[in-house]
Formats: sequence, structure tokens, C-alpha cells
Amino acid sequence: MTGLAADRRTFLKGLGVLGAAALVPGCATSTPSGSGASAATGELALQSSLSSEQTKAALAKMIDAYNKTGGKVKVNTVAVEIYRTQLPTYLASANPPDVYTWYAGSVANSYAKKDLLLDVSSVWDTMKNYPQAMQNLSTSDSGQKIFVPTNYYWWGVYYRKSNFAKWGVKPPTTWAEFLQVCETIQSKGIPPIGIGTGGTPWVASAWFDYLNIRINGAPFHRRLLAGEERFDDPKVKAVFSKWQEVLPYFDPKGKSIPFQEATSVLLAGRSGMFLIGAFVADSAPKDAADDIDFFQFPIIDPEVPVAEEAPIDGYFASKRAKDPEAVKKFLTWVATAEAQELYVRNSTGTVIPANPDGKSADTPLVRKGKAMVESAKELTQFFNRDSSDALQPTADAALIKFMDKPDQVDQILKDWQAAAGKVFKA
Amino acid sequence: MSPLILAFVFIPFAIEAVWVFWPALQGFWLSLTDWDGLSAPTFVGLGNFHDMFSDPIFKTALKNTAIWLVLFGGLSVIGGFGMALLLQKERRGVGIYRAALFTPVVFSLVVTALIWRVFYQPDGLVDSVLRGVGLGDFIRPWLADPDTALYAVILPALWRQIGYVMVLYLAGLKAVDPALYEAARVDGASAWQRTLYVTIPQLKGVNSVVLSVIVIDSLRSFDIVWSMTRGGPYHSSELLSTYMYSTAFQSTQLGYASAIAVVIFILALAVILGYLIRAFREET
Repeated sequence: MTGLAADRRTFLKGLGVLGAAALVPGCATSTPSGSGASAATGELALQSSLSSEQTKAALAKMIDAYNKTGGKVKVNTVAVEIYRTQLPTYLASANPPDVYTWYAGSVANSYAKKDLLLDVSSVWDTMKNYPQAMQNLSTSDSGQKIFVPTNYYWWGVYYRKSNFAKWGVKPPTTWAEFLQVCETIQSKGIPPIGIGTGGTPWVASAWFDYLNIRINGAPFHRRLLAGEERFDDPKVKAVFSKWQEVLPYFDPKGKSIPFQEATSVLLAGRSGMFLIGAFVADSAPKDAADDIDFFQFPIIDPEVPVAEEAPIDGYFASKRAKDPEAVKKFLTWVATAEAQELYVRNSTGTVIPANPDGKSADTPLVRKGKAMVESAKELTQFFNRDSSDALQPTADAALIKFMDKPDQVDQILKDWQAAAGKVFKA
Repeated sequence: MSPLILAFVFIPFAIEAVWVFWPALQGFWLSLTDWDGLSAPTFVGLGNFHDMFSDPIFKTALKNTAIWLVLFGGLSVIGGFGMALLLQKERRGVGIYRAALFTPVVFSLVVTALIWRVFYQPDGLVDSVLRGVGLGDFIRPWLADPDTALYAVILPALWRQIGYVMVLYLAGLKAVDPALYEAARVDGASAWQRTLYVTIPQLKGVNSVVLSVIVIDSLRSFDIVWSMTRGGPYHSSELLSTYMYSTAFQSTQLGYASAIAVVIFILALAVILGYLIRAFREET
């Protein structure tokens, strides 16, 4: 599903992951025993979902550096799609791994509610310079700090500068300008808005997220995703009415191709713009890399405080970690600018250290992304990260159906509310 | 009884008990509960089964599973049997054809899915062929159109299953006593009559194997659907197996998912038992 860019960065690998995910059901039901940590040796077991080549290597370098300072951390890497389905089992097992890579916000909070996560408030005493938004996303409902953010990326509408110049359009800032740009690109015979929902329907959620935070604002969006508002609310319908204005500009082939291919379509100039995460730039060939730029999702209602989607990755730890002090020592270290720079430097080019003192890659694209996120009044992460992986499939069904049959919006929203209601009840 | 025989019976039984029977029984128990995989399960009686009646996705999945059973099962039997009849005679080059038909069985279904995804992609092989023969108007987003997605997935599943069923029937045909054909020919039976009155009755044993294989394969079909459409777009190609998986591991409603698993189990048992009982009756 959605979210973690790491594995999305490597093209085609995702297809392998699909395959691997298909093998899961057989083993998932039979063995609830933990993926064994070494209790006796005093080693910390770090369960990692950073399975793409680059992120895995970057983590290995970071852990090497930590172990040289006298730490003892052993990494166990699991393909992210399997990790996603197995994480509850890891945490609930009799002998859980100590530390986990995962997401900030409601995902972490849902485990904290079940009393599975270690209180890391003391680690946060060393993290006073972190922005308020990250603090909020790392705090559980009961007020404990349960998460340590290490890096984030951003979403935006990506395009090729050379193509925009060729078509004679400028990056829009308002909805009216955006519609105008779409109109112009379409008149050149190019589908203005690229998308790739074939096999990766979750990318459609970016459109829902952004339209909702632009029209109804981030607080409403969060309440909606927490089950405190209803999907058949007129405010949600307003989101879809706005969406309908741009639906004719979507690439009709978008529903048959996965988002990775939609990226190639954009790079090849066969679509105009693409609302996607910064990882899109990692996949570009060298000659195209400098040509890729993005603009902030257009402002629709200037009264609504500007929010941006910035998915935050980091670590949490098991409540039943064998050596909580060692865990906290490790987490204190990963919160430092030094550790995060080490990771970011060796990882893909577009992740930004969570520590404001950490230096990111010095490219115009990353500088622009960082500035956009830092100037935002509110941060959201992404649909599944702001709700749960359980709610994501309900969004996938509703949004893909809407893009196919926009005239059935009322029924779609009713069905969505019914499906979401079941998830919240569960 | 010798201790060796006892060992041969009890050791596998003990292993089965731990790895098969116990989890299966647990599945039945879980189907009567609400469970998120983390907290303790709460007993809800037949609540999960009751919920199925008002669950539109479950109904779609059940309907699609029935379509799958009929189309995938029926066509693979007809296709496999037809191919076996065509290719049973030893003549030059027949081995190549048999091998060609059996090759898809060797591929993992996930690989098959990848190959067919490429066929189906916009402007891919399927679209070019249709355009080539002047049927360009029929082109659709095959896997993304709710009206075609299910059938677009059945096709690659069949592509594989036909080769498998063919091999089963080829083995069966080899076992038919040639003297029977000889006798039929002497009595003046046509080729069609020989097939109908000699070959088919002689294949009764193989038929029950094929039927069990087909029913079990249909009901557990999961990998090909999951890797091609994940049951989408918006649940239009959902099978009971894919719906079970997504409720269990995406929505983490493990109680409800177990209830779906129980339904799948009962369906498989009903079809196979029904056939076996009839087969036994005919024999006695």
C-alpha cells in the first residue's frame, strides 16, 4: 500500500514485492512466535522495513557507525509489504524485536493505544529543536512520546521544466490558474494530469488528501480519517465536486498502469503533471534529473491555513524491549543530526533529516521541498499514515470508482462511509 | 501390528495435528469471534456469518467465485481433455506440442501474472492484435474495467491450468487397454462413438482426481488475482480468497476473515463430498 517511499523508489522491485506478498497468507496464520531476538547477548534487535537496495545500505552504514561507538544493534530487514502485514504480529509476539522502523502519527498511536510501545519521552529531552508538528505526530493520545522521527519527504505536483517551457505554461499557484494550465496542455494533445492506479490504487488518495486539506483544512481531514466525521458529509462531497472539475484532464491510460510507469510517462513527456511524492525524482535518469521540478498543490481557498503532505519516517520500540535503557540510548543517537545526515547522505537523494540541524542533499529541488514543508502551517502525512492501513482499501475502492463513475458520487460516499464504519468499529 | 507401521501412522499424524488440524480448528473458533490480531478475541457467536448477508463485497466475491468455478473449472476440463485427445497419439513432433502446453504450468503464477500484465497494458500485445484485425473499437483498459477485469484474470489462469489437466488426462488415456478400442473397432464403432462409450467411461478414476484438483484450485485461486488486480477495480474481481486475505491482513478483521475461510472450506467440502458419494454409490 501506501506511504513509505523507500521501496517505491526502485522500479519493478515493487512487482517482486507483490509476488512476495502473495506468499504471505500461508505462513502468517501458523506461527505467532516472534522473529526471535537474541536475548542473551544484550544485542538490540532492529526490525527494518527499509528493504530497497539504497535504503538498506544506508541503514547498514548508519548502524555500523553506531556499533563502532560501542552499541550492539543487529538489523533484520523484511520486505516492506510483508512488514506491513506482519508488524502487529512482531509487536504482539512473546519475544518481540526491540526497535522498529515505521511511521509517525496515527499508525504509531494505534499501537500505543494497545499498550505495545515504549515511552521514549526521555529521548525527547534531547530533541528540543524539533518542530512542533513532529512533536505532535510523535505523541500518543495519553501524552507519552512514543516515536522518534528521523527523516521525511514531501509531495507536490511534478513536471519537466523543458516541457512546460515548450508548451508555454508556468507553474500555477491557484486553482483557476491550474485549470488554465490543464486546458493549455490538453490543447497540445498531451494528457495534462498523469496518474498510475493500475495495481497501485493508493496514489489516488493523494488527490483526495490534498483537495480535502485545501478545501476543508487539515484539522477536518484528521478528524475525518479518525472516524470523527462522516464520509457522506456535504463537506466531503465538495471535495469530489472540485475533483470533478479536473477529471477530464486525467490521463485515460492512468488506470491501467502502475504509478512507476506513470512516472516514465511523465518523464517521456506523454503526460504533463503528476501529483506524487519526492521519490519520483530518484527514479529519473541522470539527464532528466535536473529538468524535474515541482509546484505546490494549488491553493483553492486562501482562508484555509496551508497544509502540506510530508510523510515522516522514524523509529519506535517495543514496550517489552529487553533493555529499555539501551533502546533509549540508540534512539537518542538516531535523533542526532549527525546520524541522520549519515543516513540521508547514503540513501536516496530526496529524503530530508527530521532534525532541523541536519543537512539534506544540496539540490534546488530538495531545498525547495524543505522550504515548502517548513513554511506550512499544518502537516499531514498521507491517507494511510493519518488513518490506518485498514482504512486505505476503503479509500482505494471509493476513489477509483469515483474516477471511473463520477456521476455515482452520492452512492460511492455512502458505501465508503459504510466500509469505513466497519473499520472503525473493528 | 509392527511398531514400524505404528510409527508410520502416528508420526505423520502428530505432525499434521500440530501444523494442520490444530490451526484449522483454531480457524473455526476464530470465525466465531471479533479479533484484531492484537487484543484478546471476543466471542460474537454467529455474528460474522450474519454480517455476510448484508456485506455487498462478500456477495460480489461469492458470485465471482461461482463464475470462477464454472468458467475456470469447466473450460480447463474441456480444454485439457480436448488437448489430451488431440495429442495422445504418438507421432512426430507431438512431444513439442505437449511440452509447449505444459510450459505455463512450470511458471509460478506470479510470473504468469507479470507476463499477462504486459500483454494487457495499454497499447500492449492484446491491443495491437485487436487493432491489427480491425477490432480496435473493442479495446478497453482490460484489468481496470470492472466489466472485464475478472475475465481478464481467468484467461491466464486457464492458460496454465489446461496444460496441467491435459497431463492428467494423457496419463489416464495411456492406462486405457488398447484391446477395448480394438474390440470397438471390430464392432464397427465410429471414432466419436469410441470416445463417448470407451474412452470417457474408462477415465472415471482420472475424472475424480481432476474434479478434486479443479475445485480445490478454483477455491484457493489467489496469487494470480492478487498479483494482477488485487481484487480491484473497486472489488469487481474480488474472489472469496482475495477478500479473505484483504480482510485479514489489510483490515485486520481476523474474525470475519476466518468466517470467510470457513465458507470456502464448506464450499470445497460440499462439492468434493457430493461427487465422491455419488462415485462410491455407483461402484457398490
